[in-house]
Amino acid sequence: MMAGGGLKKYLPPVFAAGFLALYLGPAMAAPGDEENGEAIYAKRCLQCHGEDGDGLGPAAERLNPPPRDFTFGLYKFKSTPFDEDLPNDGDLLRMVRDGMPGTAMPGWSGLLNEQDMWDVIAYIKTFAELEGEPETQVDYGAQVATSAESIAAGKTLFHADDRCSECHGAEGKGDAIKKLKNDNGDRTWPRNLTKPWTFRASNDPKDVFNRITAGIPTTQMPSFADPKSKKKLSIEERWHVANYVTSLAKTEKVVRPANTVIQAARLEGEIPSSPEDPAWDAAPPSTFFMVPQIVGETRFFTAANDTLSVRALYNGDKIGLHLEWDDRTKSIPGDPKALSIADEDLTEDAVAVQFPVTLPAGMEKPYFLMGDAAKPVNLWRWSGGTTEEAESVAMIDAMGIAEQQMRDAGGLTAKSSYKAGTWRVVMTRPLITGAADQDLQFEEGRFIPIAFFAWDGSNGEAGSHHAMTTWYWLLLKPSASARPIIAAIAVTLLLGAILIWWGRSARTRAP
Amino acid sequence: MRIPKLLQAVLVLAGVYFGFIVVFDVILEAVIPSSLLVMYMFFVTAGVFMVFTYDEEGTRELVAPIKALVEDPSKRVWRNIVFVIVPLAAGAGTYVQMQPSFEAPLELRTIHPAPPTTAKIYGKRVNLLKLENPFRKLEKEDPEQFRELVEEGAAVYIQNCQYCHGDKLDGNGPYAAGLNPTPLNFQDVGTIAQLQESYLFWRIATGGPGLPKEAAPWISSMPVWQNFLKEDEIWKTILFLYDYTGHSPRTWGNE
Repeated sequence: MMAGGGLKKYLPPVFAAGFLALYLGPAMAAPGDEENGEAIYAKRCLQCHGEDGDGLGPAAERLNPPPRDFTFGLYKFKSTPFDEDLPNDGDLLRMVRDGMPGTAMPGWSGLLNEQDMWDVIAYIKTFAELEGEPETQVDYGAQVATSAESIAAGKTLFHADDRCSECHGAEGKGDAIKKLKNDNGDRTWPRNLTKPWTFRASNDPKDVFNRITAGIPTTQMPSFADPKSKKKLSIEERWHVANYVTSLAKTEKVVRPANTVIQAARLEGEIPSSPEDPAWDAAPPSTFFMVPQIVGETRFFTAANDTLSVRALYNGDKIGLHLEWDDRTKSIPGDPKALSIADEDLTEDAVAVQFPVTLPAGMEKPYFLMGDAAKPVNLWRWSGGTTEEAESVAMIDAMGIAEQQMRDAGGLTAKSSYKAGTWRVVMTRPLITGAADQDLQFEEGRFIPIAFFAWDGSNGEAGSHHAMTTWYWLLLKPSASARPIIAAIAVTLLLGAILIWWGRSARTRAP
Repeated sequence: MRIPKLLQAVLVLAGVYFGFIVVFDVILEAVIPSSLLVMYMFFVTAGVFMVFTYDEEGTRELVAPIKALVEDPSKRVWRNIVFVIVPLAAGAGTYVQMQPSFEAPLELRTIHPAPPTTAKIYGKRVNLLKLENPFRKLEKEDPEQFRELVEEGAAVYIQNCQYCHGDKLDGNGPYAAGLNPTPLNFQDVGTIAQLQESYLFWRIATGGPGLPKEAAPWISSMPVWQNFLKEDEIWKTILFLYDYTGHSPRTWGNE
């Protein structure tokens, strides 16, 4: 742990140096030793990027996004202008050093020193027979600091002529229905701009400006500095758009690892049945990472959903859960528009909430992936419906991923809405069903294990192919009680009385 | 000037208290659990009290300021202030203590539970005490073939394990943040370097569900790899884990 602390102290200067290299000038590359680079490449990089640097290592098929093919010398994130295909060495260093958040590419600064990284870069460049570097830099002009005016100007430019909203959608969630491909023919998705923490190369306005200016090579993200573009923007306009884009962050969808408890507040009235009801805003959201299901047969490595936000409310009779997640596609089997955008077999979008059937007395819970024979779980599963059938909700008893039994939903209800790339689903159920052998009976003040599953139908997700969370907690927060304040007053008065008595008797005894 | 005994005692206690905080929370970056801190401080307080009241004179000197505060007519103002503040502070403390806690329940689990002596793996009952990596001997006997096996293990690892344990074997793969418990960091000297290869084989082959109860098998997302991988693939992956991290497996021989 000492080492960890030391490392953290050491990192900022490294980052600072890196940013200096990026922004002050491209020509800070140290000469790399290709031979040492080759040895490091064989040990650290080859498994994904392949022996020939073509991105066809053993893991290629299961990685989403796929590893970079180095043989073209083209990279998504570069600080050279749009008319220069190749990146500067500093851009390559940054990708190797800091990695690509949200992908399998880690930052290597902890394992490799800077010279090692330069050596690897020298070797990687040989795959495309690159020599030297362009040594040109996008023109940042004078950075426009973010302000309400700049953001408003950026918003106008973002939407004018459908400039950015054409792909990124009306609210920036990347949900505009378009089938995008990269130069390799692989499917790509426009970035969800409301989750800037998923950006591969940081959401610093300067980086966003860089992407708008240079485009993202090998993808359909164009340069808006290209004078030939009908949608081109001046430097100042690009800063406005960058400021607007960075303002889109929906921070309530940031995962806070310490937040593992969904706190359900007690309501006096009815549980709002509409997912769009503003009453839901009163409940604090808890957002959890979702990961692809790669534990049970059959495994699935490329799930589309990455996070899920949950709110909960309850009253004297019912519990209500509000689930919200961004999904670029509303997958309705039978719908021509949905079919045209889907990659594979179009299935229904779906989400499920998992509870143990019996509240555990100790810490022992059912197996997190749909329970086990000794400890079954309930799955409340909502499906989005098809052109033939309306949305539906099912109650499933599960004793493992392969042991699922659907039964009558009982008092379980679900209602959804899909707006601008976001699904919202409200599920309600009576707190007590009277069938404790098969249904969880909710209790106030108890920590109730809860987990989630989600299927993106346009990504062909069905059955065991889905995204999931591990166990978290749901707590029906008891209404405030008067006991703490009564106890506090009692302690104060009692202690006060004792002190006064002590003081008096001591002084009486004293001469 | 000599520091009064009561102040000495208070300073010692405060020093120890902040010492704990500085050492654990700041230097070691491992926040000390408050229940543990309370326990430590209880013993420290008891110890300090015993030292300071070792003889009668010391005891008298220690309680003198308190006695004076209570009895001395000239300290009336101070007395009144203390007699109001102390009960109020105790009341506030009670109030905070009694507030219901919405913190997640603490779940303690053993990360490296003691292995059983035998386990059923690939349909056979194997003795984990005697089990050895069939490829380990090649490290000396046929280094070239050994390298090949390590590379095959690397391919298995990258296709199956890196999602959670990471490209760098540091437990920080792209799915790691979504898992609780978090995937093990093999670079850490406290993990595979402390374990025998048979232990790794058992952990990999039987996965989370193969853990004993004290290790909370119901929350571990480690798959049951005997369902997905062949026996020799697991052994090769184990070769790769040690090779990449530069650790050596623990053996019976050098104990």
